[in-house]
Amino acid sequence: MKNVRKANFLQVNNEIRRLLAEEGVIILPSSQAYKKLKWTRDHFEQKPEEGYFIWVKKQISHPLTTCIAISSPKISQNPRNLIVIEKDVKAEVHSICNTMKKNLFGSHIGHTKVILKEQSTLQMRHFHKWEKGDTVSSSLEFHLQKGATLFHVYKCLAVPEKLKTELNSFLDSSSSANIETDVLAKRGNVNMYDSTFLNGEEASAIIKVRMVADQTSKITSHSKMIANNAGVGHVDCMGLLLSEKSSISTVPELINRNKNATLTHEASVGRISQDALNYLRSRGLTEDGAIGLIITGFLRETAFSYKGRVLPSKIYM
Amino acid sequence: MLKIESLSVKVREKNILEKVNLKIENGEIHALLGPNASGKSTLAYAIMGFPEYKVVSGKILFEGKDITNLPIEERAKLGITLAFQNPPSIKGVTLSALLKTISKQKSDMKDFPIFFSEILEREINVGFSGGERKFSELLQIISMKPSFVILDEFDAGLDIINLEKLTSIIQDKLIRNDIPILLVTHRGNILQFLEPDVAHVMLDGKIVCTMDNWRKVWKTIRRYGYEKCKEGKLSSSKQ
Repeated sequence: MKNVRKANFLQVNNEIRRLLAEEGVIILPSSQAYKKLKWTRDHFEQKPEEGYFIWVKKQISHPLTTCIAISSPKISQNPRNLIVIEKDVKAEVHSICNTMKKNLFGSHIGHTKVILKEQSTLQMRHFHKWEKGDTVSSSLEFHLQKGATLFHVYKCLAVPEKLKTELNSFLDSSSSANIETDVLAKRGNVNMYDSTFLNGEEASAIIKVRMVADQTSKITSHSKMIANNAGVGHVDCMGLLLSEKSSISTVPELINRNKNATLTHEASVGRISQDALNYLRSRGLTEDGAIGLIITGFLRETAFSYKGRVLPSKIYM
Repeated sequence: MLKIESLSVKVREKNILEKVNLKIENGEIHALLGPNASGKSTLAYAIMGFPEYKVVSGKILFEGKDITNLPIEERAKLGITLAFQNPPSIKGVTLSALLKTISKQKSDMKDFPIFFSEILEREINVGFSGGERKFSELLQIISMKPSFVILDEFDAGLDIINLEKLTSIIQDKLIRNDIPILLVTHRGNILQFLEPDVAHVMLDGKIVCTMDNWRKVWKTIRRYGYEKCKEGKLSSSKQ
């Protein structure tokens, strides 16, 4: 967590440790935003007690970083976050939620709502890292106004015993979303639900889900794409099984309510082929090294070591 | 360098190779010729150590060490390399990522002629053309700083222009450095470019003749077919 020191918002357990606004960016605890900025109340289901509010009013040249961490035993977190990107503004946000030690048995139930105003762009990287005893439920909601562009990557390469993620995206006309989810599970149950609503004309979305299940893990991914207008949507789910006791279920669903919309999906779940492993072994890699390389490629630029192989890192932990 | 002693190999319970003997010294290029399904590729994969190619009897010695039961990666670490005829696709892994992992001679790669440079950032063998695939194989092998190279049907799927380009890399990076090569093929063009020191003919899993005049062997094959090589008119001095 070396870059957490530079975080714009840092919450450890239930306490805010750092809050650093920048020029053109308002950052407040969600509770204060709810109190001071009445319009934000429309975006919180109820008065929030934890979490952050980020309002990007001017373009910024570097990523804003948030971190919500658990460092003590049996902590329950319930952050309610709101991110607003103003019209025509481009922003990048790195969001980290994690547990800092083993056996803390924490609970993290987070909800983040993101509003991208007209012609704005957001690149958001969302990283999770948990331990065995934790329980995590994370939901995200993206609202893309006309012409807005979203690139979102969610990575969780260390899952808790139970992980539930929910992601709902609502796209107005000419907006586009590219949403990627990468999960590597060695244990536990992972349930992921995403729904993308193409509500405006020429809205477009690509959903990519990459799942790697090892040991006794079970991963289920439900991806739904709904065209309420003449948009284009694609769902792409791929899973790799690394052990006999793991399982992956992928449930893509396409609902088209407009004859001018095009929705497609592709899905595959399988194991790493022996031919591929032998090929890489003939280049001098051990079997574990070959598996590590294939998983690194499958999950793209990841930051964790897998089976003793240190994978290239671009993330913040 | 490489010595194969009375090697018999079976694949999925079927006997493929029968008492094969072969000796390749440093700096030598040996061509292994034979029709389809004669066992040429089986010998290549058995030397590399692929698990489904089971050695029933005999030995494979490399630099005096018995490697018959060594795993694939250990053989690769000794410098034994194989350019596959049909390499598998590895989705998600770019050629440059693999090269970064396996490369033992990064500095030498700078002056490496890149005819298909755009494939470096593509997933390995995914949608590669025949030429790109062979170039990728060669690039990987050379980056491993090999001490022995097996080229399995390297000329298959290559047009004559690309064959000339790629064999010139083989000349420059391997032959000039005295790296011994086992060239598995049933075509003549690559023989003309690489001019092997020794030619062997394999039929039904056996090496039926060996000769240091590859032109004579190839001429016999072209005129009379592989079966003619069985008749013992060609010498077998180099086995």
